[in-house]
Formats: sequence, C-alpha cells, structure tokens
Amino acid sequence: MRPGPPARAGRPLRSYALVCAIVGLLAAPGRAQDLPSAPLSLGGGRVVLGTDIAVTVGERDEIGWFNYTDYEHNALRTLRLAVNGEWRIASPIALVGELRAENMSSIEPYALYLRVRPWRERAIDIQAGRIPPVFGAFGRRAYTNDNPLIGYPLAYQYLTALRADALPATADDLLRMRARGWQVNYPIGAPTFEPGVPLVTAFRWDTGVEVRAATGGLEVAGAVTAGTLSNPRVDNDGKQLQGRVTWKPLVGLVLGGSVARGEFVDDAAVTAAGADADRSFAQRALGADLEYSRGYGIVRAEFIWTEWDVPAVALPSIDRPLQANAGLIEGRYRIHPRLYLAARADWLGFSKVTGTLFDRQPVSWDAPVQRVEAGGGWYFRRNLVGRVTWQHNWRDGGRLRHKSFVAGQLLFWL
Amino acid sequence: MRTTLAIVLLVTGVAAAPQSGGAIRGRVDVIQAAAPIQRRPGVTDLGAAPARGSVDRRRTVVYLESAPRGAFDDRVEHGRATMDQRAETFVPHVLAIMTGTTVEFPNNDRTYHNVFSLSKPKTFDLGRYATGKSKAVRFDRPGIVRVFCDIHSHMNAFILVFGHPYFATTDVDGKYRIPDVPSGSYTVAVWNEGVVRDSRRVSVPAGTDVEINFALDR
Repeated sequence: MRPGPPARAGRPLRSYALVCAIVGLLAAPGRAQDLPSAPLSLGGGRVVLGTDIAVTVGERDEIGWFNYTDYEHNALRTLRLAVNGEWRIASPIALVGELRAENMSSIEPYALYLRVRPWRERAIDIQAGRIPPVFGAFGRRAYTNDNPLIGYPLAYQYLTALRADALPATADDLLRMRARGWQVNYPIGAPTFEPGVPLVTAFRWDTGVEVRAATGGLEVAGAVTAGTLSNPRVDNDGKQLQGRVTWKPLVGLVLGGSVARGEFVDDAAVTAAGADADRSFAQRALGADLEYSRGYGIVRAEFIWTEWDVPAVALPSIDRPLQANAGLIEGRYRIHPRLYLAARADWLGFSKVTGTLFDRQPVSWDAPVQRVEAGGGWYFRRNLVGRVTWQHNWRDGGRLRHKSFVAGQLLFWL
Repeated sequence: MRTTLAIVLLVTGVAAAPQSGGAIRGRVDVIQAAAPIQRRPGVTDLGAAPARGSVDRRRTVVYLESAPRGAFDDRVEHGRATMDQRAETFVPHVLAIMTGTTVEFPNNDRTYHNVFSLSKPKTFDLGRYATGKSKAVRFDRPGIVRVFCDIHSHMNAFILVFGHPYFATTDVDGKYRIPDVPSGSYTVAVWNEGVVRDSRRVSVPAGTDVEINFALDR
C-alpha cells in the first residue's frame, strides 16, 4: 500500500504564492480598473476567447481526503487556468472548446466539440466531440463563478471506493476499502493503488454525440457517449445513453430530470474477474433538480440515485448492484451589489452489503458523508471576485471522521 | 480616466459669464465603431448566441467640458429616463442624463435580467425581475456608470451623469445639438464607448448656432 500522498499533492504551493501575489496586485482598486472586462473578440466576432483563472488556497487534507477530485487535486487548494473559446466557422457551425490546466500540470481539453444547428430557425443543436454533460444540473455549470462556493457537491467530487479498472473479489474486499476512495486497491484487475470514482464527475467531460432541442419552456437533450457518468474515460467498447429534460413553467423556476446508462467496468477487469465478456456491468443513474431565483436570491436542489453492476466472484459475494444516492440544497443571496452570501448542505449515502467483517452485519459499502459549506464573495469588479468559505464534513468511517476546512479563492474571468 | 476627469470638470469648471443663448450642433462620424461586447463562450449553452436587436447607433455623447457660470444655480433635475432591456440588450446603449434623474429599467425581454452597477458614482443591484416588471434608480452624482446584467455577461451600457444640461447624445445619423448655450468660449468634448475621443475649443456668439463636426477613428 502506498503510505502517503503522491508527490503532486503538495506541489503547487510556490505557484500559489506567485499567482496570489500577481492577482492580488491586480485586485488592488487602482489596478483593477486596468483589467480587461470582456472576452477577446477576433475576426469580427467569429472567434471569441474567454478565460477563467481561479486561485484557491486552503488547508491540506491528506488524512481525510474529503475534497480530492478524480484529477487527484484538492478542490480547496487548486490553481485553475482555463481558456474557453468559440469559433463560428460558418453560420450553422461552431467549434467550441475549453483548455484547462490545474496546478500547473498538463493542459487538458476539457471540452472540444463541433456544434451544428441544421435549421436556422429551430433551436436544435447537434454536438459532437468532447461534449457538455447531459445528465444533472451541477455538471453543466462549466465556469468557476457558476459555483457560489469553493467546494464541490459530494455527488460530483467525492471519491467512492469503486473503480472501473479494478474489482473486489468479495464483499470483504469492498468493505476494507470503505472511506478510502483516495487510494483504492482490489485483487482483480489493475493492481495499483488509484483513486475511486465519484457518482458523477464534474471534472471530465465525455466524448460522443449529443442532440439538444428547445421549444418554449421545454428543453430536451440526449447523448451517446463513450464513458459513464463516474468515469468518462472507461476502457470498454460499451456506449452510454444519457437523457435530460428541463422545464421552465414560469420565469425563474427550472425543473430538470435526467437519466443515464453506460457500461462501467473496463474490459480487462471483466476478463480478470472470469465473468462472461458479453455480460453487461453498467452504471445506471437517475437525477432530479430544481432551481428557483427571484430578487436577490437563488435556491437550487439536486438529487441523484445511481447503481453499478459488479461481477460476483467469490464468497462472501457482492450479489446485488452497488447503489449510492446523493442530494444537495444550496442558496445564494446578494446582500449588497458587491457582496453575496451562500451556503450548501449535501449528503452521500450507499447501499449495504454483508461480508464477514463488521460482525457479519449489513454495512454500507462505502462510508456515508455529509457536508455543509457556507461563505461569501466580494466583487472587486464585475469579473474579479474574492471568496471565502468554511466547510465541515462528517463521515461514518475511515481514519478521520469529521473535519472542517477554511478556503479562500480569487477568481477572474472574461 | 480622461472621461472621468472631464466630467468632474463639469462640476467645478467655470467659463465665461453667460449672455443670451446660442447652440452647438454638428455631426459625429464614427469611422470605425467599437465592436459590441461578445457573450462568454457558452460551453454548455444551447446553440449560438441568439439574434440580438439591431445595434444601437446612438453611442456618442457631445458635451461642454466646463459649464457656464450659474449652470448649477437652482437646477434640480427631477426628470425620468428609461433604459430598456430587450433581446438581451440595454436600449439605449448610452444614456446621458442630469444629476437627480431617475432611470427606469423595464424588463421587456422573455427572460430574467439582473441590472447592476459597481461604478463609484452609483453602485446598485436591482436583483432579478421578470418580464413586464420595472425597477428604478436615481442618479445623484455626476460621473460614468457602467451598467451590466448579472445573468447575461454581454449585456452592458453606459449612463453618463452630468452636473449641467450642456450635453447631447448623437442620433442614428450621428447628428447632435446642444441648445441654449450661453455665449462664451468652451471646450467641446466627444465621448464614445468609454473614452473621450476628441475635444475642441469653440466660441459661441449670442443667439447663434455654431457647427462643429467630428470624425472619430480608432
């Protein structure tokens, strides 16, 4: 077992200091006036380039790993640099993309897709490439300032003890990894210690084709993609189907429902488990969400249920799909043109399995987690915000059962 | 910065003593207009940017950099003006008013808007309000107020608040007229898209229209 955190976990401290100093200087009232305030427009508006720079400074979390993402970064200690752009190639065709680098590591094409609108007068788009998520509401909040807090919802960030490339042979193997989603190891499949997957990742977009259509207050989207909600980079030949409907019955209210099903387990792990190669080991998910805004406030709620099929290999076996559910409710209120307050409460729960551990009693296959986060943001200018949040986590398992964090963030965007 | 300075001068500056009035009129040709602010690349949005209303060409304000003596005496403006919200655009894009004016911000769009400004002369946030609703703000300090929508980042406008009445916004043909200017010598400034682009000295004889034309290039 790898005893400590990987080297990259503590690496970006000097980068933080440097970027904090630069952005801090820019944030001074006099200098802030010199900052650009609009996206860069080229070729008469055919090419539009924006940016999203977020410097987040918070406490280390190398025991509880509450805020680590599937990019193996602490969401409360991250330097995020992103360039997003849209090239309107011709009237119905645009190339849309976002390049993102976190903690000065490699540059990832977070989004890169072709968008075609076949009928000029109809709101129907076909998108192909690394496309925006169809499932859920939070995953579509692509920009940092779309998140009123610094931390992410558990459903979209917290690493469970499940992997797509390595499988537990027994229920005991699974229960031994309870609350250890940061470094998971199983006897079947890839032998390395690697992070588990979240219910739905907010940090990687999937590759595929999506069709979206809107009429009146109704919007419908469907997609076929290569990965799954938990792991868009899954290594198998299966396809994922996703669908989403949103309805705006009145101005300010948005109701959404989502569904997804995709092949979750890597082919190599299925083979290693001795399972029938033709059998499906899928992730299925349902989601419901709500947003209501009025005046100076906005409230959002989202609920996700999902389950994963895993092969039953040996006794005590995992003889049912592993299920998880998550919910969040968050609100933001602007109390002054420059100041807003926000809060979120969310939870993550898991179905139970029975092994020889825990006195042979049924136990949730991963440790349930609850989180509250509250904070606020101050607008130095329209596109330069300083934010501070406090977050507390509770977990029913693991070395660290509860932990509070304070984080600060400076965010600039065009 | 130069614009702010110019408008501050409007409050404190004093030119020749007023006599009977004339007018300053003319035309401003904007040879290369500033490109409108584009929306942020909508990585998760449906489709391209929706069609926006035709570009509002009334984007230039001509004004006296220094006001005649007595311009501020007993002048309390209680007027009202309107800045509409249509097709994700503020109309007009540039609004020139006197201090004390109340500006209505009706929402005549099909979606929520959230008008706000973080400008020093007037910081305000009207919150989100729906189609058919309107909220108002009174502007009591001279200066330039940048207006935005918190929901639609490309929506932006300018409100120029003057401490005197000697200003005019160009019409769609670029024409302007500043009436009732007391005779004397003044500096006439031309403001366009956040910047003072030109200024000239002019003498206004009593009871006479003086014509000054400007050509603004980028």
